[in-house]
Amino acid sequence: MFDPLALAVALPLLGALLVTMLPGWSRALGMLTALATTVVALWLTVTVWGGASLHSDLGGWGVPLGIALRADGLAAALVAMANLVALAISINATGYFGTAESSRKFWPLWLLLWSALNGLFLAADLFNLYVMLELLGLSAAALGALTGTREAAEANLRYLLVGLLGSMTYLLGVALLYTAYGTLDLEQVAASLTPGPVALSALALMVGGLLLKAALFPLHFWLPPAHANAPAPVSAALSALVVKAAIYLVLRLWLDLFDGIVTEAAGMLLGLLGAGAVLWGSWRALRAERLKLLAAYSTVAQVGYLFMFLPLLTATPDGPERERLLTALVLLALTHGFAKAGFFLAAGLVQKSTGHDRIRELGGAAQSLPAATFTLGLAGVALIGLPPSGTFFAKWVLVGQAIALGQWWWALVVMAGTLLAAAYVFRVLARAFNREPTPKCFLTDPRTEIPALLLAALSALGVGLAAQPIAVLLGAGD
Amino acid sequence: MKASRLQTVLIPLLLSAIGAVLFWAFWSGVTGHEGERLAALALARVPESGASNPVTSVLLNFRAYDTLMELAVLLAALLGIWSLGPAAAPYQPAALLLNSLVSWVVPMLIIAGGYLLWIGGQAPGGAFQAGALLGAAGVTLALSGRPNAGLPDESWLRVLAALGTLVFVLIGLTLMFLGLGFLTYPPALAKALILTIETGATLSIGATLAAAFLGGQPRATRTAEP
Repeated sequence: MFDPLALAVALPLLGALLVTMLPGWSRALGMLTALATTVVALWLTVTVWGGASLHSDLGGWGVPLGIALRADGLAAALVAMANLVALAISINATGYFGTAESSRKFWPLWLLLWSALNGLFLAADLFNLYVMLELLGLSAAALGALTGTREAAEANLRYLLVGLLGSMTYLLGVALLYTAYGTLDLEQVAASLTPGPVALSALALMVGGLLLKAALFPLHFWLPPAHANAPAPVSAALSALVVKAAIYLVLRLWLDLFDGIVTEAAGMLLGLLGAGAVLWGSWRALRAERLKLLAAYSTVAQVGYLFMFLPLLTATPDGPERERLLTALVLLALTHGFAKAGFFLAAGLVQKSTGHDRIRELGGAAQSLPAATFTLGLAGVALIGLPPSGTFFAKWVLVGQAIALGQWWWALVVMAGTLLAAAYVFRVLARAFNREPTPKCFLTDPRTEIPALLLAALSALGVGLAAQPIAVLLGAGD
Repeated sequence: MKASRLQTVLIPLLLSAIGAVLFWAFWSGVTGHEGERLAALALARVPESGASNPVTSVLLNFRAYDTLMELAVLLAALLGIWSLGPAAAPYQPAALLLNSLVSWVVPMLIIAGGYLLWIGGQAPGGAFQAGALLGAAGVTLALSGRPNAGLPDESWLRVLAALGTLVFVLIGLTLMFLGLGFLTYPPALAKALILTIETGATLSIGATLAAAFLGGQPRATRTAEP
């Protein structure tokens, strides 16, 4: 009898123990574990896809006495993305670390992190979630410091402390809920939760702690140095998966646990912080001098988009609109997971083969590393949100629903963020393709260029959004 | 200076306000809600768990999955410490008086650890307490100048550190393959399985704590034990 839920957590854990005990075999054992875990995770996802949400009572005691694992569609989607990305990172790591000493340090911590990720996505128990957060934070910080440089150690010590503060705050909220309702099972607490000081304090503590881990502006200060100084496969995991785990948990709490407690004002606050993250993160990404720092700030911005969905989700009543919005949110999270992991792995290759990742000196990278440059371009398509990427659909739904609800200001932020994303992606690509220094000024002949620029901007941004007035205009003659 | 004086007033005020709000929430949580609580339910089912000490029942049976992952957290901490570099230089060897005291204290700590491990089934005790005593024995050895805190060389230390979690997860997986479910002990075997898991966990916790005290990857020197 196989239980895919327990296996998805236990297999990487078993692998981590084996590579701890047999460091000489870490590459082979690690890859074997990675393949087996991915197979289990995909099997789990396919089962849920078939319409059966999975449930497992560990220890056979049943809730509330025992701990349950659960996989619904949201969990399964993230598990599938996380495990595919983790498999790609594992393959990349066999090349990146080789058989060096750092490979022996990488594998046990990496598999522990993988186990914690799956455990977090599948957990249905508030305290068990805390344990998973601890394992995730600890292994992530240790992995981030593997480069051994002073900056990496400093950045990841800060990351560790911030992460501990976040999980402690979360735990305080769990303790409050347990005091009041006497159970730790997520569904049971959700069923008996009533508005009041307990629910509101727990909401503030738990979501607040997780925002710190999710690096929502202005709590993102720890992310860029930690992600930019880690070895490339680790940066990919931190940006694509670990941050996503915290966001998943915020979403889980927001939609399942505190449904009916959250107010539109609370959603609006998170949305505004998200908008700040989009603008500030994109701007800093545009100004970044190093490729990995650019990717890290781009993560700050992409996290912002995800939080901009929350005020709309809270304001939209149950129905197809809300489901579309949720689909778009998950699609954005999945797309960013794949894109950012790809971006970081390609950046790692650039850094390894040129010895640096300074954007200013990337000239000619396209000639020497065509696949890596193409990867940066493709990931860039997803980061900008060009069709047919998932980001395009997600932003489309976000803008549409924002306008439908009369909250048009989110649409402006999305557009500004998209333009900034295009700018920072093309800045890298332009450097990679061109040995020449870029000209000092943006416009060479304003009189000829500005009209052309306006026409192009109108075609890209104006006409599509003006479809409604154009339709009215077309109907006017009848 | 003005800003900092403002801070010395504002930050305590803000913290006390947050504390007051949290206490209010806690108070209304304690008094406001009646209904079935987990603690009573857990106490009622302790006899079925294979351990008569309720704490052990919760840690090793009802919520064994949490404990398994906590052991993994401990391992991650040790691996994280090791990844940062080699251990600091050992302390200089202790003088005769301290040395003879250590040779008394360490065996007693080990025996007390074994006792706590065994008694954990019925009374306060268990793997974490016993492991802490073993760890303390290692710290005592390190402080009195043993370079490896009485621990074996790195390859065996790795086995020792992972052993507890390995026994735990293998028992869980075996029970799953037998059709009982992950970490679902058959009642007849519960006591034996809990004791096996706790023994492995004690050794791993003791070794992990002592190795963490050394503060880095073990040096390649042989153990200079008499």
